[in-house]
Amino acid sequence: MENREATDSISEVMNIDRLVHSPARLAILTYLSVVEEGDAVYLLNQTGLTWGNLSANVTRLQEAGYIEVNKEFKDKKPHTLLKLTDRGRKAFHDYQGKMDALLHIKKSKSK
Amino acid sequence: MLTLNEKKIESRVFTSFFQGGFIEAFMGIFLLQLGLPVIFSRSGFGDMQSALFVLPIALILLAVIFLVRRFVVIPRLGRVKFLPERRRRLSKLIIVPILTLIASAIVGYILNENASMRNIFIGQIPFSLSPIIVFGAAAYFLDMKRLYIYGAIVGLIMPLGKYLETIIVSRDILPGTILFTAFVFFGIATVFFVAFLKKYHVTKV
Repeated sequence: MENREATDSISEVMNIDRLVHSPARLAILTYLSVVEEGDAVYLLNQTGLTWGNLSANVTRLQEAGYIEVNKEFKDKKPHTLLKLTDRGRKAFHDYQGKMDALLHIKKSKSK
Repeated sequence: MLTLNEKKIESRVFTSFFQGGFIEAFMGIFLLQLGLPVIFSRSGFGDMQSALFVLPIALILLAVIFLVRRFVVIPRLGRVKFLPERRRRLSKLIIVPILTLIASAIVGYILNENASMRNIFIGQIPFSLSPIIVFGAAAYFLDMKRLYIYGAIVGLIMPLGKYLETIIVSRDILPGTILFTAFVFFGIATVFFVAFLKKYHVTKV
């Protein structure tokens, strides 16, 4: 029974969303999942990514419809706000669920 | 709805927005507002007059904190809108000082009415418990453990000052103790602020 659960979880992992699986994008999604919206400076500080790396990964997530990018003017300066979309939040939680299931089985097998 | 780990991350992100020594500077202003009126009132000014002297000083310092946060800290940390759960948690925090103020007023009135309870230390109970409760609630709702310690320090200042006045007979001891603690907090705030400026720089994006 336990073996079957493990096999199911491993095959689930094979179908994992590779867009979320990258460390940089996972960090971006994690830090956007805990706020309603945040700007690029917030993400740069929290994730520790470089501006170029952040920008490239944000573009990929935006293209996938996982995050929403809104440009506005604050104190006459351009300001970019990023927000996790419902689709992005679902993808992030699905990823978490699959990884949790796999790691949980791995842990209980190693006991 | 956040999962357990997300809650921890959210809490860490939220507390990171209080870097730069602002909590300590606020504590310093709070103590300054407690200590300075005592000096003024003991110099012959009325209680109301003393409080009015201190109010503009506190307001100017609070305005400085606000401006520094707005123009120095936020551009370095970035702008964030927290989730409604966090905002609800913060709104609960407002209720605590109001309830504490009412409770302190009632306790203060009872202590004042009963001559037998008019003891130098018993009289300090509302002054000591109020900051412990208010800062304790702030520590809980803001997820900032150091506020428990700050609340305890502020709560102990008044009885400590009164106690020191009984051993060292000087009327400057109580305000002196409060103001000394205020300046210690300002010192800590400055150290934190300098460390913050060294760590974070304005990022042009």
